[in-house]
Amino acid sequence: MAARADRLRPLTVLVVASVALWALAGALFAVRWASVPRSLPHARSLFPYGEMRIGVDASSPPFAAVSADGLFGLEVDLGQALAEQIGVPLRFVNMGFDGLYDSLRADQVDIVIAQLLFDPMLTRAVRYSRPYYNAGLVLVSPAARPVLSMAALPGRALAYEFGSEADAEARRWLRRVLPFEQRPYELPSFALDAVRLGQADAALVDAASAHLYLRDYPNWKAEISRVTDSLYVIASRADRPALAEHVNAALDALEADGRLARLIARWF
Amino acid sequence: MLNRILCVDTVLSPHWRWYLRAAIVWIIVSSLLPAGPRAPLGPPQSVVTNKPRVCVHTRLIDEVWEWTIQRSLQLVREMGASTIVEFFPWAYLEPQQGRYDWAVADRIVKHARNQGLQVIARMGLVPAWARADVEDTHSTLNYLPETSYEHFASFVAAFAARYAGDVNHIIIWNEPNLAFEWGYRPVDPAAYARLLQAVYAPAHQANPHVVVLAAALAPTLEPLGSANGLNDLLYLDALYRAGAAPHFDALAVHTYGFTEPPAAEPAENRLNFRRVELLHEIMLRYDRSDKPVYITETGWNDHPRWASAVRPAQRVSYTIEAFEYAEANWPWLEKMCLWVLRYPAPTRSYPDNFTLLTPGFQPKPIYYAVQSYARGTERSADLWLPAPID
Repeated sequence: MAARADRLRPLTVLVVASVALWALAGALFAVRWASVPRSLPHARSLFPYGEMRIGVDASSPPFAAVSADGLFGLEVDLGQALAEQIGVPLRFVNMGFDGLYDSLRADQVDIVIAQLLFDPMLTRAVRYSRPYYNAGLVLVSPAARPVLSMAALPGRALAYEFGSEADAEARRWLRRVLPFEQRPYELPSFALDAVRLGQADAALVDAASAHLYLRDYPNWKAEISRVTDSLYVIASRADRPALAEHVNAALDALEADGRLARLIARWF
Repeated sequence: MLNRILCVDTVLSPHWRWYLRAAIVWIIVSSLLPAGPRAPLGPPQSVVTNKPRVCVHTRLIDEVWEWTIQRSLQLVREMGASTIVEFFPWAYLEPQQGRYDWAVADRIVKHARNQGLQVIARMGLVPAWARADVEDTHSTLNYLPETSYEHFASFVAAFAARYAGDVNHIIIWNEPNLAFEWGYRPVDPAAYARLLQAVYAPAHQANPHVVVLAAALAPTLEPLGSANGLNDLLYLDALYRAGAAPHFDALAVHTYGFTEPPAAEPAENRLNFRRVELLHEIMLRYDRSDKPVYITETGWNDHPRWASAVRPAQRVSYTIEAFEYAEANWPWLEKMCLWVLRYPAPTRSYPDNFTLLTPGFQPKPIYYAVQSYARGTERSADLWLPAPID
């Protein structure tokens, strides 16, 4: 009997230790859970300078650009709509693309709206919002003869910008499906011209180029089909989670009442 | 039975059965885990190229897996580039004074040799022990106090000796005309000249065939007295006036095209590809006329938003035209190395648009264009079609 008890003792220790560890983990989780605010703090308390400072890179119309009259573009409008929704004054800080994250770290801005993509390498310091625009690649084809996916390309002609992400994507697909004709052009607009003029069956271009082109040719009936995602998000500091929650809540509100869609439609 | 024969219960711990079972479980579980990727060398390769000047800068030193080094270098060879430039940080290779750890360098050099590639080694990054006279708050990994010049020279000599035959070109430092690269101190051409002097003789004693390259300067228009750095033309002139000429065998150069085509005229107040000609003019003024130049970083960027970028099609055509221009006009140029083959992970920003391969080893169109140029593959048509006409 004593020998059996000896054999059971390590198992007992193991079980007791496991239970203790789980209990400790549960207690720590409960403490952390209790520390999470259940309601967002008042927006104004999030901005110690009394305004929301928004970093933009005004070198990329129609997302953000600058003229003699000031800043303009989708991201400028979006910043204004966010500030209005949150209920704070705003100030834009225009800077070069390579200074955007540094300005956030150095507390020169509160958020950055500048065609940023989610970067998992930066999430120790940066918190990202939900996306506000998808700039991924799309297939554009005539509505009468739609090409709805890359898998439907074999035997057809695909136009794209030489050397671009679309070019690389087309080469990837050439290894996965039966051959299709490649028609590289110098610019995305030339690739779209080729489709409109019947020299190619579809064009693979980024969503922004596609929508801008279709604005110029409103009578051309085209079908747009998404191929890849490239989601633009808003960046804030990781140590200001309440601010990020406000931004997300504001984006949700803008989407729910259609304002975000109207802003995008205004520029694309 | 075993108990009775060996009396193990009295000799060993009373829980020995549990330990034995745990060991068996551990062995079984370990044997079920997938083996790490391997990178067997395979038969030695050689580079097939018609353009021996074609070279590419790699970023291999921080690779985790050996197979990614091997795959990178295979793709360099297949592109038709005969040479790579790679960074070999002193801080990695001599973490304690006199104790060398060559493992990370060995695997790069080993695979480069196997692919038939020459290696140009860039040296820099100061280990903490060599910065000991500087307070930590003011010291960076690029801060090399003059009291440590002889330590750096010893390291370079040890490197040159170890890799003699595989690595016969060594660049001493990087862009010393930038305050950041000079340890956030005011840049100092005379101090850099003394560094070259300290390194030159030990390197040649260690490997009589070594070519010591003076560091490439950052192309910049920073004026005298700027906190950020100094105009590369002014810096090179000052370097020569400080007596550096006998202490380097060749000059490394960084020259980027930015938004201008490769044939754009150079000027002292402009940054473009042919700025290297202005640097070479300074060399001719002070140095022997046959001292060669190695362009160890060059290229164009095709990020859709970066202010200094061009369109992807321009990037490809400018790059090929740059090689052709250099071949036709610059007999003093030994190598022209594109920045950069690949990053281990995406930066998700404009630096990604300098690469020839994605982090997943997907070649970009520019890779194929350089390959066609280097290997002399006939192109059946122009790179892209003419614009459709309405």
